[in-house]
Order: sequence, then C-alpha cells, then structure tokens
Amino acid sequence: MASKLTKRDYTITSLRAYLLQNGMNYNNYQGLGYANMLYPALRKMYKNDDELKEVLKDNIEFFNTNPSMVPFITNLHLSMLDGGADPKEIKGIKMALMGPMAGIGDSLSQFCLAPLFATIGASLAQEGLILGPIFFWLGINICLFIVKMLMGGWGYRLGTSIITKLSGYMEQISTIAGMIGVTVISGLAVNFVKITTPLQYVAQVSETEQKVIAIQDMLDAILPNLLPVLFTCLVFWLIKEKKWTTYRLVIMTIIVGILLSVIGVLG
Amino acid sequence: MEISMLQSILIGLWCGVCLCGMLLGIYTNRCLVMATGVGLILGDLPTGLAMGAVGELAFMGFGVSQGGSVPPNPMGPGIIGTIMAITMKNSGVDVGSALALSFPFAVAFQFIITAVYTACAGIGEAAKNALENKKFGMFRFYSNATLIVFLVLGFIIGFAGAMSAEGLQSVISLIPGWLNTGLSVAGAMLPAVGFAMILNVMAKKELIPFVLLGYMAIAYLGLPIIGVAVLGTAVALLVFFYAGKGGNNNVEEVEVEFEDGI
Repeated sequence: MASKLTKRDYTITSLRAYLLQNGMNYNNYQGLGYANMLYPALRKMYKNDDELKEVLKDNIEFFNTNPSMVPFITNLHLSMLDGGADPKEIKGIKMALMGPMAGIGDSLSQFCLAPLFATIGASLAQEGLILGPIFFWLGINICLFIVKMLMGGWGYRLGTSIITKLSGYMEQISTIAGMIGVTVISGLAVNFVKITTPLQYVAQVSETEQKVIAIQDMLDAILPNLLPVLFTCLVFWLIKEKKWTTYRLVIMTIIVGILLSVIGVLG
Repeated sequence: MEISMLQSILIGLWCGVCLCGMLLGIYTNRCLVMATGVGLILGDLPTGLAMGAVGELAFMGFGVSQGGSVPPNPMGPGIIGTIMAITMKNSGVDVGSALALSFPFAVAFQFIITAVYTACAGIGEAAKNALENKKFGMFRFYSNATLIVFLVLGFIIGFAGAMSAEGLQSVISLIPGWLNTGLSVAGAMLPAVGFAMILNVMAKKELIPFVLLGYMAIAYLGLPIIGVAVLGTAVALLVFFYAGKGGNNNVEEVEVEFEDGI
C-alpha cells in the first residue's frame, strides 16, 4: 500500500496540537480535539465519507494528555495507519501512550519550564520592565513549540521502540531544568515574599543611655530574609507533611497576615 | 479613575483572548500576561507590571494540579485585581491588598470554568451525531465549541469587571484602614504559597544544594535573576557531566539541546 501522507501532513498535524483542547469537556475530555487534530490527514486518507465517519467516531472517545507531547501520539498513529497497521493495535498504543506522555509533558512544562520562565519574567516585571511578560511568554512558547515539533518528528519516524529512549532523554532534560528551576525559584522566594516586623524594644545601654533596638535588624544580622524563609518553610511543611490544600494555605495566609498586622507584630 | 466604554470593551476582548490561551496551551491565561495587558489598556503599565509580578508568583502554585482539585483562576488577580490596583491606587489599595481582595474572584471564576466543562459535556454527543450524519463541518465546529464559549465568557468577565470598577471602589472604600494594612501584609506573604507549592513538586532531597545556592545568590550576593539562572545552569551542567563518575548511577552522555532555551 502506497503511503498517502507526506511529511507536510505530519507537520500540519503537529501544529494542530494547539487545537487539542478546544473541545475540552468533562465527557470525553480531549477526545474531540484529538479527532480534530487528525481530521485533515484522515480526510486525505479516506476519500469515502462513510469510512471517514467511522474512523473519526472511533477517535472521539475519551482522551487526555499533555498538549505539547500529543504530536508524538498523533503522528505515530498516522504513520501506523498509513502503513496499514491494525486499528485495534493502534488504539492500544494510543491509549498506552496517553498517560506516560501526560506525565513527561506536565513535569516538563508545568513543573519546570513554566515556573522557571514565570519567576524570571515576574522578577523583571517587578523592576518595571515590560520585557518581563514578553520574556515569559516568548520563552515558554518557543520552548513548547520546539517540543511539539520534535515530538511530531519522532512520532512520525519511529515506532514504539523510541519510548524508553525518549523517556530517558526527557528525564535528563527534566532533571537539569529542575536544578536550574529550583535554584531560581528558591532565590526569588526569599526576594518576593516580604515579611518584616516593626517590633522594637528599648535597651538600657548604660545608666543614662538608652538604645532602641529593632527586632528586624537583629533578624537580618542572623540571616538575611529570615522571616520569609521561615514562613516559606512553614508553608512547605504544611503541604508536604500535613497535606494542606492551596485553598487552606491561601486563606490561612490572609488570616494570619491580617491578625499579625493588627496586633502589630508584622508590618 | 474612570474607565471608558472603549477601555471596558478592550479589557473584555483581552480577557477573552487570554482565557482562550488556557485551552490553546499558549500561556496567556497567566497573571503576568493578563495584568500587563490591562495595565496597557488603562494607561498605567507600571502598576500592571507590579500586579502581574505579585499575582503570578502567588498563583504559580495553582498551575500544578493537585489530584483533581480545582485551582483558582489567575483572571482574579490578572484582570479584576489589576483593575482594582489601578483605579483605586489613590484610595490606599496597593498591589498586595488588590491581590488579597481579588482572591474570592479567582475562586468564583474557577467554579464558572468547571461549570463550562460540565455543560460542554453535551458537545461530545452532538459531535457524534454530526459524524453519524456525515456533517463534517459541524463536527469541526463542535470540536472548537469550548474555545468559543471561553472567548465569550472571558469577554463577559473582563467587560463586567471593568464596568463595575466604580461600584467595587465604593465597596472597597468602606474597608477600614487596619484591615487594608492587614490585607497588604497578607498580600506580600502570599507568594510564599506559590513558591512552596512549586518547590513541593520540584524539589527532591538531591536538589537541596540548589535551594541553598539560589538563596545565597539572592540574599547574600544580590545577583540579578538572570545571573542566578546562569549560575544554576552552570552548576546543573557540572553535576550532569560529572554524575556517575565515581558514583554508582551512570548517566549516559547525551547532547543537551535544551540549554539554549534558558
């Protein structure tokens, strides 16, 4: 069977990854979007409307993965279909890939790239530079675009054997991105979380001399940004050990902030 | 400060487009991006940027999913919070208190979005019927239906937020001074939640040196943030290239095409 799809069709399908979630709903999640991604390529492969209808119907079922990784699945799907593989087998692979791809993609985009670019962008914005949001937006989108294109290319060229190799690569990239991200984020945490205390006391230096000592100055002498560090550690502990949800944390922070400010401990 | 009709419409459109980014995966539904746009539209870019920075960090933790719980939406601080910060700048509302005050909106918006996803559950069936009747155009329309709903929803939220700024102003002017100060203090503490959330998913034991490295670079050395990123990259690559030499975990040598992205 001659191959009906050209490289261009695979590229177009990869680009259509941006449409994956346009039909997002709580019934079949990205199912509609997945079928819609494949639509132009399938239209080209199936001239007969009845065949096209069946194959699309087959692909609108539940699907949920990471939008940057999905070109790998769609292009592998198309190249197997074009090569005459059994649709049942393709479906098995598609469903098997959904979870791991979501895992790799989410940890790369949401947990590494987005926080990294967001903290740098926010820090530039804090200094009043419009470069901040631009840097964030372009940075993350260029990276994710490259990921989409790479995934599409790999999906098209290679069979399932690549998966193990791929997750090895991604793991290494994720590890490095994680190291850089953690460095930047912990640096900025101390800078951005602003907690200071106006508390002070009067010390009797000698018989006649008194000195006003600000608690904040003492804290700064111990460790710079001690209060932000302690508070961030407290929140971290509450998340990790006490499994607090973000809602509780935010509400707790607002209440604690107001209370401590009213009694004059923080300001 | 008054918001004109044209500005309200522009904010509505901006909000709609940004919200669509949530589906398209182009990261426009982030506080940093939304607040900058609102700042430009209202002619107060510095406040927009400051609000974007604070809100982005406070909400960064919500970007990481936590087992099905619905995160508050950055439209709260990004659109409503920024409108508050800009229009009420002269009545004692700073970016910190605007962030705290916009939090209920962020929660409300997320409930609306959950409702949209649920309401859209019907389009799956509708699309199937369209396919059954070989109406492929309709199928493609349904495949993009959620996006259209988001565009409209975003417009309504942005437009209504801008139009009701005056009403909000009078409500907020009722807030006593001590509470306003408290909200500012709380707002300045909120980024800790975002940072801790992110560190919780990123940080493993092995990454503790990098936590210290980042802290030291800012707190003691006062490096600019790009400098911190470069320093982090340098150490990360050192670890990467020398990992396994002498240790028992072998990392095979691979080319890292990623570093250009930073």
